[in-house]
Amino acid sequence: MEILKVTDLKKTYTSRLGGAQVQALKGVTFSVESGEYVAIMGESGSGKTTLLNILAALDKPTSGSVVLDGMDLSAVKESARAAFRRRNLGFVFQEFDLLDTFSIMDNILLPMVLGRAGVKEMEAKLASAAEALGITPILNKYPYEVSGGQKQRAAAARAIITEPKLLLADEPTGALDSQSSAELLSVFSRLNAGGQTILMVTHSVDAASHAGRVLFIRDGVVFHQLYRGGSANEEMYRKISDTLTMLRTGR
Amino acid sequence: MSKGFYTKIAADNVKKNYRLYVPRILAEAGLFASFYILFTLALDKRLGEAVGGSVLPTLMGMGTFIIGFLSLILILYVNSFLMKQRKREYGLYNVLGMEKRHIVKVLFFESLIASAVSIAIGVVFGMLFYKLSSLLICRLLRSGAVPGFYYLSAPTVLFPMLVFVGLDLLAFLAGAVSILRLKPVELLSGARTGEKEPRTRWALLVLGVLSLGAGYYISLTVKSPLAAIFLFFAAVLLVMVGTYFLYVSGSAFVLKTLKKNKRFYYDPKHMPAVSGLLFRMKKNAVGLASIAILATGVLVMISTTVSLYGGVKDTMETNYPQQLYLSAFINDKDRTQRVPVEDLKAIVSETAAQMGVEIDHVDSEKLLIVSYLMRDNRLLTMKETDGWKAEEITNVIYITEDTYKNIRGVASVISEPKGLGLKKDEIAFCRISTMMNDVGSQPGSITINTREYRIKEHLAYFPIASNTSGIVSVVGIVVSDDDVLNDIYTAQKEAYGEHASEFADRIGVTFADEAAVSSVGADFNNTVAEKLKARYPDGLSYDLDTKWESLKNVLELYGTFLFLGMLLGAVCLFATILIIYYKQISEGYEDRRRFQIMQKIGMEEKAVKRTIGSQLVMQFFLPLITAGIHTAFAFPILLKLLKMLMLTNTALFVVCSLAAFAVFALVYAAVYLLTARTYYRIVH
Repeated sequence: MEILKVTDLKKTYTSRLGGAQVQALKGVTFSVESGEYVAIMGESGSGKTTLLNILAALDKPTSGSVVLDGMDLSAVKESARAAFRRRNLGFVFQEFDLLDTFSIMDNILLPMVLGRAGVKEMEAKLASAAEALGITPILNKYPYEVSGGQKQRAAAARAIITEPKLLLADEPTGALDSQSSAELLSVFSRLNAGGQTILMVTHSVDAASHAGRVLFIRDGVVFHQLYRGGSANEEMYRKISDTLTMLRTGR
Repeated sequence: MSKGFYTKIAADNVKKNYRLYVPRILAEAGLFASFYILFTLALDKRLGEAVGGSVLPTLMGMGTFIIGFLSLILILYVNSFLMKQRKREYGLYNVLGMEKRHIVKVLFFESLIASAVSIAIGVVFGMLFYKLSSLLICRLLRSGAVPGFYYLSAPTVLFPMLVFVGLDLLAFLAGAVSILRLKPVELLSGARTGEKEPRTRWALLVLGVLSLGAGYYISLTVKSPLAAIFLFFAAVLLVMVGTYFLYVSGSAFVLKTLKKNKRFYYDPKHMPAVSGLLFRMKKNAVGLASIAILATGVLVMISTTVSLYGGVKDTMETNYPQQLYLSAFINDKDRTQRVPVEDLKAIVSETAAQMGVEIDHVDSEKLLIVSYLMRDNRLLTMKETDGWKAEEITNVIYITEDTYKNIRGVASVISEPKGLGLKKDEIAFCRISTMMNDVGSQPGSITINTREYRIKEHLAYFPIASNTSGIVSVVGIVVSDDDVLNDIYTAQKEAYGEHASEFADRIGVTFADEAAVSSVGADFNNTVAEKLKARYPDGLSYDLDTKWESLKNVLELYGTFLFLGMLLGAVCLFATILIIYYKQISEGYEDRRRFQIMQKIGMEEKAVKRTIGSQLVMQFFLPLITAGIHTAFAFPILLKLLKMLMLTNTALFVVCSLAAFAVFALVYAAVYLLTARTYYRIVH
């Protein structure tokens, strides 16, 4: 089943003084099946952040459409966007973006609280999410008291607690050491194995090699894509590296 | 690099940071203008002459000093705040290769620009508002035809300039030191060190509750004005300490209790606000407590000065049933040889004729005023007792029934005094003012020294001017005749010896046209004095007390109080506002990230606005509410203190306090709306 369909997405930025126009996205088309684990790779300035912002309903495209589980994002009213994000999407950011004033537990619960869930339901879901991510012992700590890897796993717990249709991750390993990165990526793989659809934007070949499919974006278009097929992570890693080399050297 | 380079950077910086600099400049300009106005009022000879007193310049001088002190604190506070906000910017300059001394140079030019603009605006404001202020003062002091005027002289401009340039220099030096200490790496690393969740500090909480309770208790239970003077500062101190402690510990206690209630806490409306406040209060408790105390000060200052001034007329009417009182002794030493009443009458009549004012009637009063301790309906001479409380001291004014009959007093109060028909062991009793909470009690008899007298009648009004400061209780007693009076005289003479009271012959004069004689004013008094001295060239002591001169003195004092109260109140109010504004801005920058994250996670914009709103409202109005409660509890003790300043009109004080609170709350709310907008713009 197709959960996300992006069709001919274009985004043009106009500088404030009305001068030069920059085309960040020049017609991006792809789709994601339910339960898929997709990585999007591209260099800085390739347009992947713009794409992510549009997918997250934080920004609007100039033209083209994004359909999530049958709902057209452009049809969602400005006032309903926050609720839409909360109900359908989960986010993991490079800088974790946990709130200093909340304990890990409260950080994880925040989306549910915003969705006005009952205390019983929240506690049940919190327990299972924390269990899945191995952060049960640190629930009562504050973000400044735990390691980067733990923070990122807490952020992941916050992202999945609402059981979103799509988990969006923006360079989730960007601020982590290799050990924590590996842990987080295996968490993502487990979540994916459990049926969670994941869309991850990354620079890291290692991170991307865990995905089932890798999209390469260059100059605002989907330039290439790689399917894992039956290959192991190492095989995938090599394929991605080769593709990147090819892209860089201009094939 | 040329000088122009630094001035240009500095000018650009001031412009770019207008959100920080504009309030700083306006604040300094306002402080300068207030300082200038008070200083000039103190020095302006024309005003002094017009008002004709020495109290005004002295009080204005004190006011100048207070404003100077406030300015020092505020300017340093604002500058330290500016430095904190801009450390990153200066750190960046440093990293980009500007040496610290160059940055100090930039700071110097920034300070110079800000200082020059502030003082320039301040001078203009000060001069403009000086005219208004002098007009207002003449109005308040009801000093006839003095026009408001501009007053220009070099010292009144130069001295304030010197002071404020000095203050700005001090602030600059403090800033320069903080730049020299700057470690740019720390600033640029941008590491957000998390803050620990505040713990509930039980010791502080308990101490705070006790201290505040004690302060309130003193105010609620204080018995006499005399005790009130001593206890007032203790109470103020206790309340201040209590406020600080409770803000620091109580806020954490309440918020943590709220947090423990899951049903309440896990609500989109409450969760961000409660946890935000918990951390916010840790940093801001002291600041907010200061605001609460400043606000209380403003309220108390304004309500007391306004009601004192507003109550002047009442006070004078109670204290002066007649317009002139005169008594005199030929020999100063033992005050036994009284100037005959006929002489006094003659002198006053002559003077009146000379001044062209008509006397309606003259009463003569034979008085004996004795100090006692009032205890259980017994009037005891102080030597009979050891160990006494201040509120027991009671001055008794004795007159005979004969005197009482002859005094017609103020027509509106008693037109025809009836005969009391007192027997030897009977008296008529009147509480003129009381320092004890015994206003309602009506004893059946009173024991004076050892003799008991039945109270035949409780008088509501005593026709003799009490003219006491209001520190002690005053009782009026009418006895049947001179024999009884002499008995009482002898008894106290034996007890007090050379400190005993003596009889006084006093005349009380009621003029036909009070306004006419008031406009003659001091001339009348001087003429009477001259005539007295002419008649008794060998020397005499006299006591001349006129309503018009008293009124003038009281008006000068209370009018000046009022002016100072309003000006200082306004300055404190704006200081409060300034502190809040800067707090709001700095927090806005800190909160920005929090709210951005919450929005990304799916918090609606409406909810963000609401959360910001409830957090702001709490922070803003907590001090205001505290100030309101403090003022309410300060009421009883303030009333006692005001009584000492001869204000007894409780209703007036209540109205003034409520009005002051209403105005304060209004201004406060307006500022809230303004800063909330700025805050929201920053956060958004």
